[in-house]
Parts: sequence; C-alpha cells; structure tokens
Amino acid sequence: MINLKGKTILVTGASAGIGSAVAQLCSDLGAKVCITGRNMERLIEVSKLLSIESELFQADLTLEKDIDDLVKALPSIDGWVHCAGIIEPFPIKFIQSKHIKSMFTINFDSACLLSSKLMQLKKINTSASFVFISSISAQHPYKGGSLYAASKAALESFSRSIALEFASKGVRSNCISAALVDTQMFEKTKNALSETELLGILSSYPLGIGQPMDVAHASAFLLSDQASWMTGSVLTLDGGLLLNSKK
Amino acid sequence: MEIDDFIKAIEEEFDNLNPGDVSPNSVFRDMEGWSSMHALIFVALIDSKYDVLLNGEELKSCVTINDLFDITCLKLNGGAAKA
Repeated sequence: MINLKGKTILVTGASAGIGSAVAQLCSDLGAKVCITGRNMERLIEVSKLLSIESELFQADLTLEKDIDDLVKALPSIDGWVHCAGIIEPFPIKFIQSKHIKSMFTINFDSACLLSSKLMQLKKINTSASFVFISSISAQHPYKGGSLYAASKAALESFSRSIALEFASKGVRSNCISAALVDTQMFEKTKNALSETELLGILSSYPLGIGQPMDVAHASAFLLSDQASWMTGSVLTLDGGLLLNSKK
Repeated sequence: MEIDDFIKAIEEEFDNLNPGDVSPNSVFRDMEGWSSMHALIFVALIDSKYDVLLNGEELKSCVTINDLFDITCLKLNGGAAKA
C-alpha cells in the first residue's frame, strides 16, 4: 500500500481539478502538503478537505517574483506535483506572440523556473520525486491545440533532463500523460463543442473519461518510495483511448 | 466597427464561403461542415482582428452572426454596434 508518511509534498495549481485531488490524496496518505494557487479563497476551501494540516501559498506562477517568494517560503520538499496549467485552443494561422507567451509561461516556464530555484535554494530533499502533469496531446495532437501540445511536449522533455541532472541526488522526475479528465477546464471546452462532437469524444474512451482522482492515484505512486526505480518516464492515463487510435 | 467589415472578414476566412453568402441573420452553426474547429476560427479571427477574446460561454450564447458582432462590439471598449 502506498503511503507518503513523513513526506512534504508541494502541489502547484492546487486550487481546483487535478491539483485539488492530488493534494487531498497525498494528505490522506500521510503527507504534509504545501498547496499553491492564485486564489487564496479557493486554496482555503481545498485545505479544509485535507486530513493533515497543510501550508498554503498564494502564488501566480506566471510571475517570477511570486516563484522566488514561494521558494523562499517553502520548507524542504520530498515531492512536487506540478498541476498548474492552461488550455487555450488556437488555430495555427492566428497564433501571435502573446498566445505563445501566455501558454508557455504557465505550462512550461513555471516548471523550469520552479525546478531551478528549488534546487538553488536547496529546498529539495534527497530522493525527492517530481511529477509533471502532461497530456497525451504532446504525442497525439489535435486541431487547434498546437500550442498546448507543444508546451506539454516541452514539459516532458524538460522532465527527462531533470531526471538526468538530478539523479546523482536521488531525485526522480516523471510525467503523467493524461487524456481527457473531467475538470472545470473540460467544462469550458464543452461550450465550443456540438452535442454530436461531445458524444463522439465521450464514446471514444473504452473506460470513459478520467476523473481527477485517477490522476491523483498515479501521482501518489510516482511520489512514493514504491516508484524509486522510475525516472524520466511518461505514464499514460487515457482510459484506453489510444488503443483505437489510427494515429 | 461596421458589421459589413465583420461579415467580409468571415467570408474571406472560410474557403467555402463567397461574398454575399453571410448575412447578419445567418446562423453560423448551420454553416456547411460546422465543427468545433470553425468555432475556434471564429474566436481566433475576432481576437486577431479586434483584440477581443470571446470565451466558450459567450460563444455558446450566440446564434447568429449579428449576435457575434454585438458581443464583440460590447467587449471592444464598450463600443456600440453599427448595423
């Protein structure tokens, strides 16, 4: 049985969806959880769901100063699950610098800067585990999702570099490549879909679409000592979607 | 901002549309081969041309081209639409 007793786990993007589920499960498994997000009220709501007293850090990870302040304030950590991110579909023909910047700043840059600064300030304990929430679109793109897919592909590549560079300290880094998960982000996406399109998407998942807790369970495994020989990997969670993929 | 320019931009964007195919009362979801990609193109076109970003709920609330034009005008510095 997975247990995270005695570990301090940082969860970024913890105020909703996958991040909130990860924080709850880690806490249930015995970890002290440090949760971050832009909205303190929502973080407080999440903290009420945690089994063990947590630490809350309001931070906008698109701002380097907020990342600096966060890292200074954090205790040393044994694990980090990076859930912060956005999905903003955009056809390639219309892409402008501002769209690239907004997508990459939160989905990719924040992961790089936070990793670097955590290491600089020696806030990462030996044998710590990093988990980056990626997407199957990194390998299986969809129309309109070029920037999102590219940001996740970059994140997966970065994770593998962490695995190499930090291995001497026993630090592991892995990604979870998730397909469609039922979160507020998905609710927003639904508005652009016709009923036929939505039904088509839902029926393409042999096991149905994912729930935030499905991703949380995989995260907990990667954070745990049971995954101590696993690094530089990408774990796919897709409810069987890609089994029928013609790609 | 004039609705004629708005319609012209839409007609130029889609290969299957010719000048005069679209009117203010056109129901955009009835366009031939309509899909979520078309919705994305509408949002991106309006963002690129008018610097107005419509969210999914705003798009969902629109039925006709005129609805799209009105909501774009409303978000464009609170400007009034000119039919």
